[in-house]
Amino acid sequence: MIIHRVIRKVQRFQGWFGGGAALFIIAGLYIGLVDSPPDYYQGEVVRIMYVHVPLAHTSLFAYIVLSVGSIWYLWKRDPIVDNMCHAVAALGAIFTTLALATGMIWGKPTWNTWWTWDARLTSYSVMLLILISYLMLRTFIDDHEKEARYAAVLAILGLVDLPIIHFSVEWWRTLHQPQSFSMRGVSMSSEILTPLLCMSVGMSLLFSYMLMVRTQLLYLDRLLHAKKGRLLSQFHMSQSDS
Amino acid sequence: MTFFNVIRWIVWKDLVTELRSRETMSSMVFFALIVIFIFSFSFSMDQQAAREVIAGIIWVAFAFTGIIGLGKSFSTELQNDCLEALQMVPESKGAIYLGKVVANFLFIFVVEILLFPMFVIFFNLDVVEEISILLLIFFLATVGLSAVGTLFSALTVQIRAREVMLPILLLPMVIPVMIAAVEATKGALNGDPLTMYSQWLELLAIFDVIFTVVSFWLFEFVMDN
Repeated sequence: MIIHRVIRKVQRFQGWFGGGAALFIIAGLYIGLVDSPPDYYQGEVVRIMYVHVPLAHTSLFAYIVLSVGSIWYLWKRDPIVDNMCHAVAALGAIFTTLALATGMIWGKPTWNTWWTWDARLTSYSVMLLILISYLMLRTFIDDHEKEARYAAVLAILGLVDLPIIHFSVEWWRTLHQPQSFSMRGVSMSSEILTPLLCMSVGMSLLFSYMLMVRTQLLYLDRLLHAKKGRLLSQFHMSQSDS
Repeated sequence: MTFFNVIRWIVWKDLVTELRSRETMSSMVFFALIVIFIFSFSFSMDQQAAREVIAGIIWVAFAFTGIIGLGKSFSTELQNDCLEALQMVPESKGAIYLGKVVANFLFIFVVEILLFPMFVIFFNLDVVEEISILLLIFFLATVGLSAVGTLFSALTVQIRAREVMLPILLLPMVIPVMIAAVEATKGALNGDPLTMYSQWLELLAIFDVIFTVVSFWLFEFVMDN
């Protein structure tokens, strides 16, 4: 079986990404949950920030990777780039959902509300909606080449649209409700910065590792479908001969 | 066929088809009428509450009506292999896109013009002075809906669950149009001076320009057989 050149390159160091991710996350969680001091205003609750902020940053990074990958696919039509786009969209949706969930858990004790139609929160949720609609589009198309092309078109449209959505929602919110609480409730001393950086690096490594593994999975799945199709057509041809 | 001839031909084709069968427009108008009724039952309509939400109700009705029209725009091409015929046009596919955008825009805009008097009647709106601004808002927002909606209509016409995928894909993308149209309509209906809500009109214009250009470029990839 011919192994794609990208898979061969990636398999060499994907283990390092996974191991590094585990290392940084465990270290970050230990320092964050056990070692670092509680916040002056928020108390122990601030510790969820060590999970929430890296998740949010990684999900934004995921969307950027999706957009760049989609443009690359439409330009070069390399099938493994399409598989990467599919993988990164699924991972991005998961990370976005987790970021929103941890954000809600953080918000309830600190702001006394599960949700607020704050500008940043609203446009972040719209990004999740676009990611989910992207995944739904991929599910409903049967032809692989068409699926790749249409999904890339949707991702590029989303890329162009997200800044416009963000600004329009921000204008809309400042018109109707001035910021009643600031999002920056935590002062950034070095004791807080260290576990945050540690978790950020760990989450990015974890995301990269999961992306590499899932891309290969999807690519091999595509190869399997193609092989199955060829075998079936050979079988039918031999049947019609006899 | 030159670029502009293709556009003109497609607009003429859609208009003539619609004039003969009148199926798209009648279903859009009737659906919007039903939406108006549902909204008036769903909201307790004292004068003050009506003033607050009427702009939103108008644009929800127009958005969902527009989605019906946009969906029909390419699904009628599925009969008799018309879609394949369109894909074989030697000119750039962007001409087909622009033709469809103009046709969809005309259908949705005419429905909006027909329906707005209904809103004025049922909700006792006072619109005589602001009619030109309202027409401008309708124009800009409908261009935005048509520009993005035509691309998504072409994209979803060949996939499973096409009726439900079009709104799912379209509505998050046109959120800026919805916000801007509702805010501008609210300002116009309240009789505010134009400077108070002109930023929303600028946002609509910028959205229209950006998305017509981007969708024009991306349409090649959608119509690639």
